[in-house]
Amino acid sequence: MRRRNTIVREAAAAFAATATAFLFTPALAHFQMLYTPETALASGQATQLLMLFTHPAHGGPNMAMGTPEALYLISQRGDAAEPVTTDLQEYLEPIAWHSENGPVDAFEASLPRNLTRSLGDYVFVLEPSPYCEPQEDKYIQQFTKMIMNIAGVPGNWAEPVGLPAEILPLDKPYANWTGGVFRGIVVADGEPVPYAELEIEYINHAPDLAQRRFASGAEVDYPQDSFGTLSIRANAQGEFTIGLPRAGWWGICALEIGADTEHEGKPLSQDAVLWIQVKDMQ
Amino acid sequence: MKVIGTQIPVLLVGLLALAGPALAHSPICNCYDNGDGTVTCEGGFSDGASAEGVAMRIVDDSDRVLTVGEMDADSTYTFDRPDDEFHVVFDAGMSHIVTIFSGDIE
Repeated sequence: MRRRNTIVREAAAAFAATATAFLFTPALAHFQMLYTPETALASGQATQLLMLFTHPAHGGPNMAMGTPEALYLISQRGDAAEPVTTDLQEYLEPIAWHSENGPVDAFEASLPRNLTRSLGDYVFVLEPSPYCEPQEDKYIQQFTKMIMNIAGVPGNWAEPVGLPAEILPLDKPYANWTGGVFRGIVVADGEPVPYAELEIEYINHAPDLAQRRFASGAEVDYPQDSFGTLSIRANAQGEFTIGLPRAGWWGICALEIGADTEHEGKPLSQDAVLWIQVKDMQ
Repeated sequence: MKVIGTQIPVLLVGLLALAGPALAHSPICNCYDNGDGTVTCEGGFSDGASAEGVAMRIVDDSDRVLTVGEMDADSTYTFDRPDDEFHVVFDAGMSHIVTIFSGDIE
């Protein structure tokens, strides 16, 4: 009887601790970052990429990335040109990103100028290895796109890559004014996903590529937890529109839309991430 | 009167057709040094149109034309880099001219 009471008390204490954690831990959305400082360039130059698995609305916690399954770019100069795919895996370099929870495994890629000096669009694609999320006892794999442009000649920014989970932009991801809107379509294996669940986060702590850490100060304060991770649904055609109230980087993530739902005996969420950059009219 | 009434709309449509493209997009040209004594220029337009056939001129500081050519099917034009200062003229017609000076070509 005493033993039973002890178990009940321990269980109650554990439940209370868990409930407290849920009550006071902000809702955090995982986002695979694929970042470069500037996506609308006047002329071509060497390109620095950061790949980090994080919670951008709060500058962390950051999660250790495994070696990506693929990193490549698809470039196209003008409507009539053929797209060119370039494998970038040889440029992947493991780094330690400094975090409050200690250094975490991330990746950089320093691309030489001759890869990104031509006019046109550059669609960077990261296919990460599945990440095991211990708190949810599942794997997460976020297929991530970031699109850069040189000198204003458009190319393939709107073209599908053909990923298992993908967000197709309906507006140029590199040419957005503060106060505008951004539209897209959520697709899985090329087919629209009706009523897809989407999360949107702002990079609220500026990434410092030299120091390999986020800035400690936040750009904005959230009045309530719902504002850190904005949650919306696509419409019946898989289309969505978001407002862009502030300059900087916004990440859009469509959750659990890929066909593969299991990895190494655990549930797998195949998500799609698209990054867009917003600028003030000055 | 009836004839005139027909001609005016036709004339207006003709003018609009001629003027439309000039307002709809901008010419864009970038050049880079290949490091082997040649320079490659790439051209295009802000609406994604091809620059194939656009006239290219390499001109010295005295406005003497050194080389003439045109953008190829890939919207590129490669030429031997002159020893002295020069500039590149991407000439797609009225209001569609881009000039790039040799000091800006890296």
